[in-house]
Amino acid sequence: MHVYVYDDFLNRGKYQKIINRLEIRLTDLGLNGKIIRLAGIKNIRGVIQNEIKLGAKTVIAVGNNQTVNKIIGAIIDTEIYGDFQKKTLLGVIPIGDDNSIAVSLGIKDMEEACQILLARRLEKIDLGIINQHYFLNQISIQSLDTILKIDDYSLEIGARGELRIINLLSDPSTKIQSNPHDGYLDVYIKTKRNSETHLRAKKIKITNPDNKIIIDGVVEIETPAEVTVKRDQVNLIVGKGRMFE
Amino acid sequence: MFNKANRLEKFKDAETVIGASIKVKGNFQGQGNIIIEGVLEGSLKTDSNIFVGDQAKITANIEASDVIITGEVRGNIKAKNYLAIGDTAKIFGDVQYGEISVERGAIINGQLSSINEDNKHTEKIKTEDKATISSK
Repeated sequence: MHVYVYDDFLNRGKYQKIINRLEIRLTDLGLNGKIIRLAGIKNIRGVIQNEIKLGAKTVIAVGNNQTVNKIIGAIIDTEIYGDFQKKTLLGVIPIGDDNSIAVSLGIKDMEEACQILLARRLEKIDLGIINQHYFLNQISIQSLDTILKIDDYSLEIGARGELRIINLLSDPSTKIQSNPHDGYLDVYIKTKRNSETHLRAKKIKITNPDNKIIIDGVVEIETPAEVTVKRDQVNLIVGKGRMFE
Repeated sequence: MFNKANRLEKFKDAETVIGASIKVKGNFQGQGNIIIEGVLEGSLKTDSNIFVGDQAKITANIEASDVIITGEVRGNIKAKNYLAIGDTAKIFGDVQYGEISVERGAIINGQLSSINEDNKHTEKIKTEDKATISSK
């Protein structure tokens, strides 16, 4: 059984046409299933967990990065997580802005997402964890005055720019090979002095007195924060054009 | 040997790059090739190769297979295979190497010694010890 989780922002009138088109397309492809609209639901975790208990084979996030992370956050570290890992696949249908996760997975738009759901090409992907939040793509923060503590050393950054900790690469212009199956996170720093830094780590502590961390482009949290990675945690349906091997 | 393209050929897929705006403090240990363009204080070690750029300032002991130095190093260097010292390099510490090349203009303040010669020397001592033991 397919379960489509519509994020609450899709209730806005401007998305009505695309939702109608999506539902027609899914019916045409024989992919129709149950729809859960997150608008108005207070206990999102409970609702999603219940669908997995009822035997959902595929849970599809319809929306953006935050929708995907809401679903993952509802399942990870719960009693039904074992069942989810064994029996359930996670799909993505991108609508609106902030869809870098879909881009990483090789899903350009809603139309392509439907074809990809039909093809059911699977990849097991690592999951980034920062404090109590989860992320598939990356976290980012202003680089100036950020200190990273890794293993037995620390990195202090003395210039403005962007610092990213990447699990799943979404920006092809970033000249690093990021592998979301290796149990490592990639630290990538590009400062305005045009200096680039990259290295790999499993556990990173971030502090910055003035700036917040942005998770997958949507959620902001304060530092200090500890970032780790869990290996091969989520079975994702991916496209041929995904940004990793 | 010391044109920039040649220098960096081995490092084009370096696993770790520390850029010019970064200061590393502590024991930095890697498994792949490492490029340092920033500041590092502590120790620096890898099983592969290390390139120290001309803007880099390192206060640490360095150990790797191949090491290329074009910046400033205050500490001892051990290049198990090959050590290349460029014309902009400033080294304040002892240097051990398998093979070495030094460009005109480089500054080295410390002792240079060949690991191979050290090994031969150690081997010789061991043989002499054995001979002494067997003669007893």
